[in-house]
Amino acid sequence: MVTQKINIYQVAYKNLLRKKTRSLLTILGIGLSAWVLVSLLGFNQGYEAALNKDIDNMGFQVLVTAKGCPYEAATLMLKGGTGLRYMKESVISDILKHKEVEGITPQLMAAVFDPNRGESGGINAYLGVDPATFPAMKSYLKFKQGGWFTDPNAVEAVVGYEAAELEQREVGDKLLIPEKNVELKVVGVLTRSGTADDGTIFVPLRTVQKIFEKEGLITAAGIKVNKNANMTELENKLYDLPDVQVVSMAQVKTTIMSLVTTAKVMVFSIALIAILIAMLGVINTILMSVFERFQEIGIIKSMGAMPWDVFRMIWTETVILCLLGGGLGIGFSFGLSKITDVLIRRLLPYTPTGSLVIINGSLALLTLGVVVAIGLVSGVYPAWRASRVRPLESIRSEGD
Amino acid sequence: MVINTPFSKSNAGVLITILLISCLLVLPLLAAVGCDLNDPDRDVKRLFPESTGYKTIYVSVAQKGGEAMLRRIEERLGDKFQGLYETADVPYTMYQIFKGRDLIGYIHGVNQKGTYGGIQVFLAVDLEGLIRGFYFQKLTSQFGKQLRDEAFGRQFTGLNLRDFFNYDVASGTVKGEGKLTAIKNPAPQAEADFRAALRATKKNLILIDEFLLGNKYLQ
Repeated sequence: MVTQKINIYQVAYKNLLRKKTRSLLTILGIGLSAWVLVSLLGFNQGYEAALNKDIDNMGFQVLVTAKGCPYEAATLMLKGGTGLRYMKESVISDILKHKEVEGITPQLMAAVFDPNRGESGGINAYLGVDPATFPAMKSYLKFKQGGWFTDPNAVEAVVGYEAAELEQREVGDKLLIPEKNVELKVVGVLTRSGTADDGTIFVPLRTVQKIFEKEGLITAAGIKVNKNANMTELENKLYDLPDVQVVSMAQVKTTIMSLVTTAKVMVFSIALIAILIAMLGVINTILMSVFERFQEIGIIKSMGAMPWDVFRMIWTETVILCLLGGGLGIGFSFGLSKITDVLIRRLLPYTPTGSLVIINGSLALLTLGVVVAIGLVSGVYPAWRASRVRPLESIRSEGD
Repeated sequence: MVINTPFSKSNAGVLITILLISCLLVLPLLAAVGCDLNDPDRDVKRLFPESTGYKTIYVSVAQKGGEAMLRRIEERLGDKFQGLYETADVPYTMYQIFKGRDLIGYIHGVNQKGTYGGIQVFLAVDLEGLIRGFYFQKLTSQFGKQLRDEAFGRQFTGLNLRDFFNYDVASGTVKGEGKLTAIKNPAPQAEADFRAALRATKKNLILIDEFLLGNKYLQ
């Protein structure tokens, strides 16, 4: 007599293949929820990393600007380049007196209307920087061509990567400041930094002051703080300066993260609901499969399978569905991470530069683990129902 | 360094605003890369008043003919393709203009390096490749007013690629006689931009010939 052991895992796998469409749809449902979950966890990692990078790339920990309503200034700026507020350059020496200050770099933003830009004109902006102090604060800026201007009075420009590509500028080319009709000579073109500097045209501070008749004035000063300095103490001292506002990078990050947290909570809730719905789909699929196979299960049990064997068989089906669905979702998230990035940028009011979604191997494994764990839980009831099938009753009921 | 800063929305708001302004200043720059019409609905109607619709198609040298096509275009132009806007994979946006169901012409724009920045030259041509409209969509120049004047653009009306055969883009000269000698530079101080406009026009006509007219004007 030949006996052959039944491999319950093989039976489980083959059973899924018997109902291909149903299995595929269930896998797709799990896959979509897994995609949402991976993308969300990836966003969790990516957003904060990108924001930290943006803030770190500003090169200084505290920014002092001229006092004025920030939103109003932004609106006026967008409407025509006016509305910038200024402070006296002498504030630099006042700030340098504080022992907490390691270095300071003054900046002057200037904007001018360019009638030749776009359909009805546009704003050209120039950032006046001090060649002695600014490059050191922004050491991450590298050059594709040329280098920084060294003469503080030079009529020269260093162009960000995107600005150079748009205007097809290389070292030696000229830029024209409209209205002022001043030619700037391009002496440097930066490599892509992934920050707002890519679209910026840098000009020596003194040159901008002279061209725009703002001698002795600046719009902001970036402060590098000593490593062991007490930031709060420094800020309190800076608040005493007349007509200035003090902005700390740590504050900005806190504010932005608090804005994003609300969005994150909402998306987490949606992801959770999506996963629960997918799991209900799994329970439904497996339960239907169990009901359809009552007689078959009865026969298997009458052939010697124990309830635990049947439980394992049904549970295995659930695990296979979850593994495949989870894998599919992870594949979606890797393959469509750029689209996810674009979608998030459209939804959020502020997004830092750089990748918003960071998906790596450990995140993928974590998601797969979560999906399989939820699947194991979902599969308990159908597997228990199947294990409780009474062989004689099930065979008799099919025959009736 | 001890960070124990009381939360202050307004101060943080200043920097958020600065970051936002920076992003907004960058965005228009990024959005302007490429050579599409700024407002196709309006511009098509302006260049082809009799039109009732248009279709946009995207082509590239890499797609249509690769390196061999690029070499042929360079030979026809008499100059090498250089920079970001003149690689084989640059997508060219071509507008097919319709009156009812009938195709009546094309609009196409090209980027060209100018004295102070990038220049965009758009041509409207009929089905034979004759220019019926010329304009600068983008031009930064101290003499922008003169170059953008309609009178300058009208000088190109009726020209086709054949009229540019004897124009040497490298030296900016016309060998022998031809209709091109009649085109006057309204701003002699902006000679470089004038020559850039002519190079852009010749390049534009070659690309139209290659992609849309089946090399009708191949020498």
